Amino acid sequence: MSSNKYRILIIEDELNIRSFVKTILETNGYQVLTSGTGKQGEWMVTSHCPDLIILDLGLPDMDGVELIKKIRKFSGVPIIVLSARTDENDKVSALDLGANDYVTKPFGTAELLARVRATLRNSHHSTGNGLYGKFVVKDMEIDYDRRIVLVKHQEIKLTQTEYNIVTLLSEHAGRVLTYAFIIHAIWGTADSGSIKKLQVNMANIRKKLGSKPGDNQYISNELGVGYRMYGNE
Amino acid sequence: MSHWLKRIEKKSKHSKSWKKDILYLTLILSASFLLSLQIQTLFHAQSLISTIFVLAVFLISLVTQGYIWGIVSSLISMMAVNYAFTFPYFTFNFTIPENLFSAIVMLFVTSMTSTLTTKIKEQEKIKLESEKEKMRANLLRAISHDLRTPLTTIYGSCSAIIENYDLLSKDQQLKLLEEVREDSQWLIRMVENLLSVTRIDGEKVNVIKTPTVLEELIDTVLVKFQKRYPNQEVTVDIPDEFISIPMDAVLIEQVLMNLLENAVQHAKGMTQLTLKVFTSGTKAIFEVTDDGCGIPKEQMSHLFTGYLEKRNTPADGQKNSMGIGLSVCAAILKAHGGEIYAENQKSGGVTFGFSLEKEEIDGKNYE
Repeated sequence: MSSNKYRILIIEDELNIRSFVKTILETNGYQVLTSGTGKQGEWMVTSHCPDLIILDLGLPDMDGVELIKKIRKFSGVPIIVLSARTDENDKVSALDLGANDYVTKPFGTAELLARVRATLRNSHHSTGNGLYGKFVVKDMEIDYDRRIVLVKHQEIKLTQTEYNIVTLLSEHAGRVLTYAFIIHAIWGTADSGSIKKLQVNMANIRKKLGSKPGDNQYISNELGVGYRMYGNE
Repeated sequence: MSHWLKRIEKKSKHSKSWKKDILYLTLILSASFLLSLQIQTLFHAQSLISTIFVLAVFLISLVTQGYIWGIVSSLISMMAVNYAFTFPYFTFNFTIPENLFSAIVMLFVTSMTSTLTTKIKEQEKIKLESEKEKMRANLLRAISHDLRTPLTTIYGSCSAIIENYDLLSKDQQLKLLEEVREDSQWLIRMVENLLSVTRIDGEKVNVIKTPTVLEELIDTVLVKFQKRYPNQEVTVDIPDEFISIPMDAVLIEQVLMNLLENAVQHAKGMTQLTLKVFTSGTKAIFEVTDDGCGIPKEQMSHLFTGYLEKRNTPADGQKNSMGIGLSVCAAILKAHGGEIYAENQKSGGVTFGFSLEKEEIDGKNYE
């Protein structure tokens, strides 16, 4: 029975946060391991092979960003980062190094659970060996074979660059992609105008997909960080 | 790390002002030297010349930092007067007692002037700083006081549940827990505001501005607002074109959240809440308008500073996030070089507004 439960490792030094996160995850059917230090956490990743890691960036014995770097050397296990509102830079570098998502403290249980579910689900279909078939989120459909995007069965005329951005986001659906990541993947090189270029393209994509402020159905803005396409819920 | 950054910043600021000071000194001194040359050839009068150099030193002390520049310029002036404008012309000569005496007097007058101006500048700085310090202390006192109320509820309710777990009905427990959640959410918002204040608390309240896409900002604010107040609709009216505004997005997000939230909590009888952004020249103007009860005239004048003044009346135990919210908005906009305003609408309700400078967008192709 317990063997087919997802195993989640929480690395967090605050006992109270660890305890309440453990409780809500366990009551939702996950198997939970905990560690109060980065060192022990790193060891537990190798010995217990968790399906997901929830990592606090502010650990006393080790920089959380460093820990991600270490883990990524031997494992692609999805990582959700817990961060305080004030350290956006840490958040961005954590995502750049391969963290899958972040949750800002203080967070509600519903929010955390939604992220955990989305991350676990999306880490499975992102195989990375070429895109084929279709991707569907709500009433938007990407047909990779025909290289077109449809909203409510109507074809949306995207430029080459816009199409590339949309497919890149869909390939990593559910995950926040940083500005730097997208720019590198789309244009290869980055210069001082790259972010503006990306922002202008995103504005056009939003317009073409018919998104309204406060009601973006397909792609969410992570202000100052990047963009995220919603996964199939 | 941040200490380091601050130090580096300070250093670079220093070296920058150092270059600027030299520039001022050279400019002013050469100007007065040329002027004196003109006067000498035109009027053959020497009495004016020392006065001109005293004025030059005075000006230099005004625009430069520290004592050193004033003293250096007073030395140079003394030499210049002796060299060019006293007999024998265009030679240094301190042997004639008259020249020596006038040189000493001039050195004395100019260095006194520079010392005095510098001292006055320093005193003003100290005064400003102590005022800032006083305000900060008051704010801290007021906030600590406000934090006590929700903490009392949280602590009390939790203790009640733990100690009377078997005695309380499920409904009673849920009710207590609901209050705990509500008050902790209030605390979270309070702390967010406080963090915003500390973010702009630095040396010269200069925030780090990053170009932010207007539509993305408004989207982020609305998503957050709808999460907090799912039943409150917001009418949005923003320009269609791509607009980028340099700002500290976290802080401006906070301002818009505070204004929207403020309307929900205080605009009694509100049926419509509008968030409007439009451009005028190089500026983007943000407005949050409600059609609620409006704000009494006597409160208008201290709307953005009221938080501290109101503290003088004994606490009624009511949560008062309005005061601090608006005070924080005012501080954030000040740090952005702008200002926030409030206007009662003729048709009822209030408009809160502020403006920010847009970024110039060139018509480059972004393919």
